[in-house]
Amino acid sequence: MHSSELISEGINLMLFGMGFVFVFLTLLVFVTGLMSSTVNKLVKPAPVVANKPAPVSAPAAGNNDELIAVMTAAVHKYRSGK
Amino acid sequence: MEQLLSLWQGSGLYNLTFGQLTMMIICLLLLYLAIVKGFEPLLLVPIGFGGLLANIPEAGLAMSAAEQAIHFAKPEVLAALAQAVGANTTNPEVLSHLVHDAGPSAYASAQLIAQDAGYANGMLYSFYSVAIASGIAPLVIFMGVGAMTDFGPLLANPKTLFLGAAAQFGIFATVLGAVGLSAMGVMDFSIQQAAAIGIIGGADGPTSIYVASLLAPELLGAIAVASYSYMALVPLIQPPIMRALTTPEERKIEMVQLRTVSKAEKIVFPLTLLVLVALLLPDAAPLLGMFCFGNLMRESGVVERLSDTAQNALINITTIFLGLSVGSKLMADKFLALETLGILALGIVAFGIGTGCGVLMAKLMNKLTKTPVNPLIGSAGVSAVPMAARVSNKLGLEYNPHNFLLMHAMGPNVAGVIGSAVAAGVMIKYLGG
Repeated sequence: MHSSELISEGINLMLFGMGFVFVFLTLLVFVTGLMSSTVNKLVKPAPVVANKPAPVSAPAAGNNDELIAVMTAAVHKYRSGK
Repeated sequence: MEQLLSLWQGSGLYNLTFGQLTMMIICLLLLYLAIVKGFEPLLLVPIGFGGLLANIPEAGLAMSAAEQAIHFAKPEVLAALAQAVGANTTNPEVLSHLVHDAGPSAYASAQLIAQDAGYANGMLYSFYSVAIASGIAPLVIFMGVGAMTDFGPLLANPKTLFLGAAAQFGIFATVLGAVGLSAMGVMDFSIQQAAAIGIIGGADGPTSIYVASLLAPELLGAIAVASYSYMALVPLIQPPIMRALTTPEERKIEMVQLRTVSKAEKIVFPLTLLVLVALLLPDAAPLLGMFCFGNLMRESGVVERLSDTAQNALINITTIFLGLSVGSKLMADKFLALETLGILALGIVAFGIGTGCGVLMAKLMNKLTKTPVNPLIGSAGVSAVPMAARVSNKLGLEYNPHNFLLMHAMGPNVAGVIGSAVAAGVMIKYLGG
C-alpha cells in the first residue's frame, strides 16, 4: 500500500515536473524570439553602432579565409606528422 | 600514571572508530582524485579536506553544541536535554535522534542547554549553517555562474532550449528509479530524498546542493560528492551514449553559422527570463533570480567591478566555504550507509538518461526543422557548463575536422542550467513544506 503510494507520487512528480519544464522552456523560446525581434526593431542605434565595427569585421572576414587555410594546413601537417 | 592514561584516553587514536577511519580513507581518495587526477579540484579539495576535519575523533568539528553534549554524555546535561525535547530517556543514541526530529524550536532549546553546559558549535557546523543551511552559498555561486554565462548562442538559436528541457528527463526518471527501489524494499528513500537524488542528473552542483539542503539535508554529503564527481566524469560518461544513439552521418552534420546577437538583446534577456519565472514559478526565483542578476551585471557593462567580483573573488570565497561545509556532511554515521551506494548508482543513471534524451531530442529537431541540427549538441543539454559543450565539440571534430560545434553546443548547455533550475523549482514547489 505504502509503496504503491510512493510510486504513484513519483509518477505524478515526473509527469508534472517534466510537463512544467517543457511548458516553461517552450514559452521561453517564444518569449525570447519575441523579445529579440522587438528589441532589434526598437533599438535602432544598435545597428548604427554595429555598422562601425562592420568595416573592421569585413577585412576580418577576408582574414578568416586565410586563417582557415592556415589552420587546415596546420591540421594536415599535424595529421601527416602523426 | 593516571595522567598519562587520561592523555591516552583523550587522544584521537584511542577514540578512532572504524567508521571514522573508513571515512578518512574515502576523503583521502577524494583528495587523490582531485590533486592527481584533476577531478573538479576546485570543489573536491575543500570537500575532501572538510571530510577529513569532520572525522577527527573527539574534536566534533562538524557537530552542533547539542550533538556534542550528547556525545560526551554527562548525565545531568542529558537529563536537561531530554526534558527540553520532551523525552523520558537519557540514552544518548535515542536522544540524538529525538533532538533532530523534535522540530526547530525544541532543537534551539536543546542547543541553548548544551551551550549553558559549556559546549559550543563545531567550526564546520557553523560554516554549514551559514553557507548551506541558509541556502546562501549555492545562490551566490549561481550569481557568479550567471556573471560568467554568455547567452549569445542561446539567443541566436532559442530552439536549443528544447534540448535543455529534454535533458532534464534524466532527473525525473531517476526520481522514479529511486522510489522504485524503495518500493521494492532495496533502499529506503522518501519522495523528498528521491527528488534530491534525481537532481544529480541536472549536472549542476549548486542546484543539487540547494535542492538537497531544502528537501533532504541528511543526504547532502553523498549527493554533493556524486554530483561533482560525475561532472568531472562527463568526458567519460557521455561519449559512449552519444555514439550509441547517433549514426556517423548525423555526427558529421554541419550547422549554420549563428547570427550575431545585439547587446540590447543580451541585456533584456535576463530580465525577460526573470519576469517569466516570477509569473510562472516563484519557487525557482531564488536560483534563477540570482542567475539573472549575475548575468545582468555582466551584460549591462556598467558595473564591471561588481561583475568581476561575482565571477572571481566572491565565487572563490564561497566555493571554499561551500566545499568545507559539504565535507562536514561526510561523517561516518551519515555517509557510511547502503543509501550512499544507491545515490552514486542512481546519479550516474540520471546522467546517462539525461544525455540520451538530449541527443534523441536533437535528432528529432534535425528531422522536423529545415535548418540542420547535429544531434551531438543534444548531450550538452545536461548543464555541466562548459564541459558538456566541449565534449560535443570534441566528438564532432572526430568525425568532421571542420565541424566546430562548440558555440552551437553552448546554447543547449546554458539552456540546461535554466532547465535544471526550473526542474528544481518544480520539485521544491511540489514537495517542499
